[in-house]
Parts: sequence; C-alpha cells; structure tokens
Amino acid sequence: MADKAILFDATKCTACRGCQVACKSWNERQAVDTKCDGTLENPPDLSNQTWLKMEFREEGNNGDLRWLFTRRSCMHCTEAACVKVCPTGALFYHPDGFVSYAKEKCSGCGYCSQFCPFNVPRLDTNRVTGKGTMDKCTACTTGGFNRIDNGLPPACVKTCPTGALTYGDRDELITTGRARVQQLMVQGHTNANLYGENVVGGTHVLYVLEDSPSVYGLVENPEVPVVATAWQDIVKPAGYAVAGLVAAGLLLNVMVARINLLRKAKKEKEGK
Amino acid sequence: MQEIERYSKRARVQHWIVVVCSLLLAITGLFLFVHLFGSAAEGGASRIIHRVAAVVFVAVPVIYFMLNPRRTLEWIKEAFTWGKADLGWAKAAPTYYFGFDIIPMPPQERSNSGQKMWMVVVITMGIVLVVSGGIMWFGKGLVPPGVFQWTVFVHDLAFIVGGAMLLVHVILGTIHPRFSEALRSMIGGKVSAHYAKDHHGKWYDRISNGKAG
Repeated sequence: MADKAILFDATKCTACRGCQVACKSWNERQAVDTKCDGTLENPPDLSNQTWLKMEFREEGNNGDLRWLFTRRSCMHCTEAACVKVCPTGALFYHPDGFVSYAKEKCSGCGYCSQFCPFNVPRLDTNRVTGKGTMDKCTACTTGGFNRIDNGLPPACVKTCPTGALTYGDRDELITTGRARVQQLMVQGHTNANLYGENVVGGTHVLYVLEDSPSVYGLVENPEVPVVATAWQDIVKPAGYAVAGLVAAGLLLNVMVARINLLRKAKKEKEGK
Repeated sequence: MQEIERYSKRARVQHWIVVVCSLLLAITGLFLFVHLFGSAAEGGASRIIHRVAAVVFVAVPVIYFMLNPRRTLEWIKEAFTWGKADLGWAKAAPTYYFGFDIIPMPPQERSNSGQKMWMVVVITMGIVLVVSGGIMWFGKGLVPPGVFQWTVFVHDLAFIVGGAMLLVHVILGTIHPRFSEALRSMIGGKVSAHYAKDHHGKWYDRISNGKAG
C-alpha cells in the first residue's frame, strides 16, 4: 500500500489554529488553562492534552517583518526512534506509514520522549511513582477515533480553511510540494525547501517552507540517536548472547564437575 | 564435626533481602529490556515494584554499613586486594571448577579470587546501576535527552555484566558440587572445619591460630 502523508504548506497558513481545535475536539483532549503573555500563540507547548500546536515566529528586520507559522506535532518518521525504543509495543507503525499508538499498552517509561529527535511525545507521569502515560498525535489512527482506516483525512486537515494542510498519497504530496517549492523560488524565496522528504527515512508530515528549516525552529538534520541503535541493535543482542553462553557454560560446567567429583568420591571409597 | 562461623546473622539477613530485591529488580527490568515480555510492563505496575525494590536494595546495605562500618570496609578492602596469589587461582581454576584436580588449587583467603571477582562486580555494577537508575528516575526531563539516552544505555550494560555474574554466583553457590556448603553457610552461617580447610586454607589457618593464640 502506498504510504499516506500530511502536507503542511507554511506559506498558506494564516495561523487560525482551527487545526489545534479540531485536533482536541476529535481526540477528546482537554483544554489547558493558560495565561496571556502578549502573543496569540497558545498554549505554550505541546502536552499530554495538546497534540498539535501552531508556533508563531517574527523574522526579519528593517521594517521587513515576516510572521512565520510552524506546525508542531508528531512528524510520523519512517525510521521512528520512539518505535525503536518502546519496550511494550505501544508505539507502532500504521500500515499507511504513520506512527500509531495504543495507549493501553503504555508503561509510562518515557523512553520515547527522550529519544524523539523532535521532542514530541509528552508524559503525564508522576515523578515519584512513575505512574502515568505518554500521549502524542497519531494522525487520527487512535483506536476508536480512527479516521484514516475509515477513509477520512485527519481532523486537522479536514478543518483547515486555507488549504495549508492537505492529505493524500505521500508520493503525490511530494510532487505537489516540490512544485510549490519551485514556484516559491521563482518568486524570490531562494531558500524555499520541502522538509521531511528524506530525513529520518522520510517523515509522513511534509513541510513546504519559504526559508531554511532552522528559521522555522525545525531541526535541520533530525536523526535517530546513535545511542538508540547501539542500545537496541548491539547491546541487547550482545546481552542475549552473553546470557546464553553463560547459562550453557554453567550447565556444562556443573554436569562435568558432578561426574568428576562423583567418580573421585567412588575411587576414594574403593581405596578405603 | 567442628563448625566455623562464616557469615554473621546480620550479613545473612542483608544477603537474603538483597537477593529478593535483586530478583524483583531483574525481573521487572527484563519486562522493559526484552520486548517479548513488554506486555508485562503495561500500565506501569512493574515500574513501581522496580522503584520500591530499588529503595530497599540501596537502604539495606547502607543500614548494614552503619551498623557494621568496620566489617563493611574490611569486605570492600578484601574485594580490591589482588596479588600474586590470585595468579595461582587463575591457573588452577579452569580445571578445578570442572571437577578435575590436575593443577592443585592453592590455599585461598576468606574469599577466593572468584568470589572477589563477584564482590568487585557487586560493588562497581551496584554503584553504576544505582546512579544511572537514580538519573532515570529523577532526571527525566531535567537532564538533557542525550544524557538520559546514555544513562539508559549504561544501565542496561551494567545489568548485562551484573546479571551474567549473578547467574554464575547463583549456580556456583547452590548446585555446583565443588561448593557443597556454600548455600548452607549463607543460611545457617557456618561451614564445617573440613570445608573451610579445603576451600579457604589461609583463612582457616589464620582463624584457628587466632583461636589457639
């Protein structure tokens, strides 16, 4: 099956935040009490209850101010560090390529939150007992709230009034995105680019940007942490090998020693 | 037959409490380590057991140290005292542990070289596991993610080293025919004079002379 994706065209976004509301509404997330600190940007950060949030940035000088909007949510990596380190299989790949999540399986360990290169998974765990769970965007593939398997676009895409968010086959969206980037370049945005096409195996949320990812507060070269690979693919298999060899060695050792010492005891008896 | 005290009551109580904690820690840790057992960690109950066991695992040796500071320091010193005598053990050990008597095992101290190796692992890996575990418990979100990632890595690495040696310790101490009185001594505290002479010659000479003198 062809992978699906969400395309976010930052140049078409007006930051109405309809996507934020639709996300909360569909996924039954609570509103968070916040304080106004002089910006329309709200709530202050992603959380257990806020899976999608628009970030506002003011860029430029000399009266040439640009107001840039960044969509902050799960990037749905093809090579997802969170899936790699999740011990219980609560995080898993949806057949369409999204990083889905079965909350009832979460142990609350939080490894995902510490290994995600985009700092997306959020915990509500108690610091002392460790009890709690993680939450994040599942691209509307959460069990019971699954729009994707029912042929619907994610709630954020459905509600977007300007066409900044589109949903479809990932290949087609890449073609659309590239064309749009070309157009932006012609218009003079020389740093325009399509973000997410190749990083971390290719993300399932693609960004059309009129400037470098870092200007939008996006990680330029997100990677699955080296530690994750060393830990999961080297140390753990080595651990199994060590345990197996030690167990087998001990079994052999005890058996041989038993035979030898019994033989010795028998000889001593006969000697007497 | 004459019996010699090898482990004080306090030492034995400490040992068995640490045994229970270690097993709980290892099992609940494996729920997260082995993805096949991951379903056992769902809901997070095993992570609470891990934390409670960890607190006892740290508290009991600390209490033992406060009650018996001199004995504890002696024990630590013993673990890190290595010399030429250990070479003799290393030469004899491979055949000796398989039940052969090709190379005679030289007389050993209160702890033989193998036991000292285990003591070193207990002390070093114990510290590494407690410190890294503490960071994982209290430092999540406070330390940079990169630090947390390496901490988990180190925690698992120390578990592999400590766990492998724990397997050796358990098997040698319980069912290995060479060490027929090891388990008995950790339960009742005493070994026969014959066993002490045979396995810990230097120690036996020292304490029997001490008694005589």
